[in-house]
Amino acid sequence: MLSRVADSLYWMSRYVERAEHTTRLIAVKLESMVEQTPEDAAASWARVIQALTGEKTAPAHADAFAITRRLAFDRDNDTSLINSLSLARDNARQVREALSSEVWESLNRLYLRLQPVTMDSIWVHTPARLFREALEEMHALEGVTYSTLSHGEGWYFLELGRHIERVQQLGRLLDIHFSAAQAENGPKYFDWLVLLKFCTAFEPYTKRYTASIRPQKIAEFLLFDPEFPHSICFSVDRMTEALARVAPGAPPARRAAVERLAGRMKAAVDFGQVDELMSGGVAAFIADITKQCEQIHKQLYASYITYGAETVL
Amino acid sequence: MQHEAFANTEDFGGPDIVAGPGRIARPGQDAPYADYELGRPYDEMFTPDGKARAPYAAMDSRLSTLPLEELNRRQQACEQSFLHQGITFTVYNDNKATERIIPTDLIPRIITGAEWARLEAGLTQRILALNLFLRDIYNDGRVLKDGVVPRSMIYGSRHYRREMRGLPVPHGAYVNICGSDLIRNEAGDFVVLEDNLRVPSGVSYMLANRDVARRAFPAVFRSMGVRPIEHYPLELLATLRSLVPFQEEATIAVLTPGVFNSAYFEHAFLARQMGVELVEGRDLLVNDNVVYTRTTSGLKRIDVIYRRIDDDFIDPLIFREDSALGVPGLFNAYRAGNVMIANALGTGVADDKAVYAYVPRLIRYYLAEEPILDNVETFLCREDASLSHVLANLDKLVVKAVGESGGYGMLVGPHASQAERDDFARKIKADPENYIAQPTIQLSTAPAFVGGGVEARHVDLRPFILHGAETKIVPGALTRVALKRGSLVVNSSQGGGSKDTWVLSN
Repeated sequence: MLSRVADSLYWMSRYVERAEHTTRLIAVKLESMVEQTPEDAAASWARVIQALTGEKTAPAHADAFAITRRLAFDRDNDTSLINSLSLARDNARQVREALSSEVWESLNRLYLRLQPVTMDSIWVHTPARLFREALEEMHALEGVTYSTLSHGEGWYFLELGRHIERVQQLGRLLDIHFSAAQAENGPKYFDWLVLLKFCTAFEPYTKRYTASIRPQKIAEFLLFDPEFPHSICFSVDRMTEALARVAPGAPPARRAAVERLAGRMKAAVDFGQVDELMSGGVAAFIADITKQCEQIHKQLYASYITYGAETVL
Repeated sequence: MQHEAFANTEDFGGPDIVAGPGRIARPGQDAPYADYELGRPYDEMFTPDGKARAPYAAMDSRLSTLPLEELNRRQQACEQSFLHQGITFTVYNDNKATERIIPTDLIPRIITGAEWARLEAGLTQRILALNLFLRDIYNDGRVLKDGVVPRSMIYGSRHYRREMRGLPVPHGAYVNICGSDLIRNEAGDFVVLEDNLRVPSGVSYMLANRDVARRAFPAVFRSMGVRPIEHYPLELLATLRSLVPFQEEATIAVLTPGVFNSAYFEHAFLARQMGVELVEGRDLLVNDNVVYTRTTSGLKRIDVIYRRIDDDFIDPLIFREDSALGVPGLFNAYRAGNVMIANALGTGVADDKAVYAYVPRLIRYYLAEEPILDNVETFLCREDASLSHVLANLDKLVVKAVGESGGYGMLVGPHASQAERDDFARKIKADPENYIAQPTIQLSTAPAFVGGGVEARHVDLRPFILHGAETKIVPGALTRVALKRGSLVVNSSQGGGSKDTWVLSN
């Protein structure tokens, strides 16, 4: 596979994952805010903004309308939903020959549908509905990708992009919630429940631990559950598998550099214990995993994508 | 509720039956042809007295019975489908990029089997002569020594590539992919307007339009014995493979300037349809005169490049040094015979306006045959008799500067003022070699669905000729259509669109 194609597939997938994460957070937040006091809703919005943009403080006087507009449709916000989708599409367009027509058209249609949407048009009735519908389309895109694209090298680059992005986004969300757990206006019972919903984890969690919502169980589930698709452990397993499948003909030394990093991260997750983490250790653990993801990203590029031609001739 | 723009627009269906004999709609009088003008130009569908020509009978009865709203719905469905497939080009305005689709007209243009046989023979003859000409001027220059074509016209052309002199080219096939533009004149004969021998585009629209027309008129399509064109990518692949001896094992790539090129959709489409790599200049590198592409597993050798980049930009070491699209060292690899490039470099010398006028003579010279397809009558001002004819008839002719394109340096006699004509006459006399003249050309008209009815619009025809070890022409073409009433400009940047072309088996 061309290195440039691998690069575009990887980033297309990261941006799709980022768009989906953004959409889900907005949808869940809009649906849950009606059940919160204004103070709790504001604190909760602030956490969403921080998770999606990295900004630690919410803009003054920002209401749900302004925040939603900024997170979803603001072209000046690098991580807005519309920008993420636009970047995903730009990358997909550059590798159309490496995608199935179904995948491209599904992504293109989604973008063309959301691109002209205005806040005024969605705010009059149930604002969350548009985001729920977009999420359905994103899930359909994921299904179409799974079932129309050969599960060869290109598909594994998509997997890599998706799960590296997912670990980073999920990590940031967990960090924000667990760092604030002891603080005065920290997450309350309802906020923990919303956190599970942010991760589409509410139903799977209750199946596993019953409906008793406890931060420690949530951490255990979202960090270490090997079967739930939005847990760190699950994503790390997928990344490890994908890294073993890409660039099959690359020189062994290059492969080893990537696989060593993947093995180290997998060990950290496989042998992590939630009870060791609870007294403030969740944040440190996540910071470590996030750092390892960045190292894997760098090595992936050095080994397979941006390597110097002089080193192989 | 579904968002309106999100409804299932790929459904072109709906009842589609070929109606029996019934009401006969007359052009210029009855719906849907109430605004259908029959004038001086040849009309593809109707005879001058308003009767549908035989090949259009089934289409006529379908159009006469299909409710216009239904036609409208199908037109919109088709536009949605193009948008979703990303068959668009980008217009940059005020730093804002807008994506537009190239308008497609639903109503196919029909060409009979007999007409096609003649076109096919004529185009084959033409590509053979042009390739022999290119081989000649890059080797012995026999045609120049014999005085058939003036030496200065070739060696003075900015598209003549000295670097190509004496280079062996497989099968002598310099032009592997050609898109010739033809028009049908008032007498109903096809004549060649120009040959595009560099990087002709539009073949993806030929294939996309087929999809559209077949879905819009399934029953008519089935009933008429339309010859298939879907194997074009396969024929293209075979042509590219024929340039190297180890055909099946050859690694082939389509070289594109990138996603910002207006034909990018086509480049990606052809690569996908052929199952070969789509590469940009930055994906390729040359080492020891061998071309490689950078892959995740390491460098991979490339044997044949179907390039969609102009000569000037293909190798900054040899041609334009400011080109960021090309591949440094590519030409040397080509010269060393380690990579084949289609089309070969330097083919542009054979498709400028002056050489065009010589093509009938080239056919006679190389093949000792009479041209099957005529040119549009062209007067070369470098020849004394023509020069005096042109100067005496400036009010009836279109005069073009040879080296220019895009309407620059052009005089449209009938629309110019006396002062403009006088001014142009002086220019021609000062440098006659630089000018040619042609009569004003009448393009034929064909039915198009516009403004809620079916009206006559001017069309041309661009078939695609493949030439490697052998010559192949897929029985179809891109029919470009000037969608503005009365306009003769079929160019997509000026309100032109395109439509499917049905070549019948008999």
